[in-house]
Amino acid sequence: MTNKYYEFFCPVKVIAGKSALEHIPYELTGLAAKRPMIVTDKGVRAAGLLDPVIAACEESGLEIVSIYDDVPPDSSTSVVRDIAGVYRQEKCDSIIAVGGGSAIDTGKAVNILVSEGGNDLSKYTGAGVLKHPLKPFFVVPTTAGTGSEVTAVAVITDESKGVKLPFSSSFLLPNAAIIDPRMTLTLPAHITAATAMDAMTHATEAFTCMAKNPLSDAYATAAIKKISQSLLQVMDNPKDAEGRLELAQASTMAGIAFSNSMVGLVHALGHATGAICHLPHGLCMSLYLPYVLEFNLEDIREPLGELLLYLEGPEVYANTPASRRAEASISAIRKLRDQLYRHCKLPRTLKETGKVDEAQLDQIAEMALDDGSIMFNPKEVTLDDAKAVLRRAWA
Amino acid sequence: MLTKRIQPMIFQARRLYVEVMFQVMGRALQAVSEVDKTVNKEAAALPDGFLFEMMVMPDGARLIVEHTGLGRFKYHGDSAPRPVDLSIQFKHIAHAFLVLSFQEKTSVAFANDRMLVDGDISYAVRMTRVLNRLESFILPKLIAERAVKEYPADLGLPEKLISAARIYLKVATNFVETVRAS
Ligand SMILES: [Fe+2]
Repeated sequence: MTNKYYEFFCPVKVIAGKSALEHIPYELTGLAAKRPMIVTDKGVRAAGLLDPVIAACEESGLEIVSIYDDVPPDSSTSVVRDIAGVYRQEKCDSIIAVGGGSAIDTGKAVNILVSEGGNDLSKYTGAGVLKHPLKPFFVVPTTAGTGSEVTAVAVITDESKGVKLPFSSSFLLPNAAIIDPRMTLTLPAHITAATAMDAMTHATEAFTCMAKNPLSDAYATAAIKKISQSLLQVMDNPKDAEGRLELAQASTMAGIAFSNSMVGLVHALGHATGAICHLPHGLCMSLYLPYVLEFNLEDIREPLGELLLYLEGPEVYANTPASRRAEASISAIRKLRDQLYRHCKLPRTLKETGKVDEAQLDQIAEMALDDGSIMFNPKEVTLDDAKAVLRRAWA
Repeated sequence: MLTKRIQPMIFQARRLYVEVMFQVMGRALQAVSEVDKTVNKEAAALPDGFLFEMMVMPDGARLIVEHTGLGRFKYHGDSAPRPVDLSIQFKHIAHAFLVLSFQEKTSVAFANDRMLVDGDISYAVRMTRVLNRLESFILPKLIAERAVKEYPADLGLPEKLISAARIYLKVATNFVETVRAS
């Protein structure tokens, strides 16, 4: 392993725990920001999640100058342009994104336009195009899964050309991520389960794929431990604020892990399935995770075996012979999926989703093979391999 | 004293090696796309006129190939006729040397942040597969196993021998043609 080399970067200030939202005014002032704009979606607003954010700011005499609450689930360049227009018109000086992956990505993209100028987002697509820090940008996640609050990427659809534009720059990272248990307290059961399994997959893939490194390993294992200990508790008792905070923190930690060490085949298959069959990302992650681990097994036996400690705790780990730990880790994940199925019918196979046609599997396999995540999968994946995994995940 | 005198020679040798390997790979890419069905099929999915570049930052050696259509690659040497569509960039010549001397797999180099991609990631994934296939063709099996993640199972010995011979031949002719032209 003399060639081993890695990079690790996460400059996001994490502000987490009880009354975390109330720290927003102080943190904004610290960046000389006085006129924040909130970027969010209708669902967040309807759930009343903006109220504590606005109250926290107003109580400190900080006025939220503008609220844009119409971010669609799949954000587009025209939405970003509209929001940038409002931002300029209202002379805002900072952005607070409140929501899930789409609102956060939209916030990142708006920040490019209002910081760099102009209305043509496609000019900034690709890696390393941005050369300067952007405007103060805060993120308040309302789901516990995507980890977007700590990733340096955003994806926005250019509807005129029908393509997805990727943006990648460390300047897209927010200045702060605010993790407040109030924001995920009302998350419906099936979304709680799916997003938590997305975070679980981020951590598991970060720990078992090619770009794993000691720092991301630490975040990944800690995230897996928190999810294993808290997810079912929260499913039983959705108002468990402590458990909610654990899941939210785990999601951020898993996000830090995978943004530094990448993901693998689960995500490649998941991205393709999402695009073709329009299934939610977290659901796809939960569905494919054990099948991909089985496919990778002989290449990841050691790290996967180590994960048993974080999935099942020290007793089970100690009582399982070292040679059986990798299989036991897969069983633990299967067990968790079975329990989630009992709780909220979170599908375990493609057939159980009721939204995938068996004839689509070949198309999914082909698309997955071109997905960037596949590059970091520990085992080389051929088209036939991808098809075989999909067939196993079918029923 | 000694290191001071030897270092520049090592640097120069490394630069030369990388330049030569880029030339060999460029010619081999063109040749392989003509004789190997797998590479030909992978390449066919790229847009016609698609320009692929591999280069050493900040402005070092580079290799440019074009997909001219029907899965065929054309080697352009080190200058592109127009802005490239996909660029794989080594951050330093030392990293290029690691990969091109088959001490570090292409996929590991990506994972280790040795290089970065400018352009559509799905094309980068495709080109990585092409490069893997190429490496396993032009190298003896032992070295190739180190250079690619998994040695292709469908690459039986006869096929490899025959194809490799044809590719070497093609690379050689291409070399000769270049020499003649210049
Ligand atoms: Fe994910």
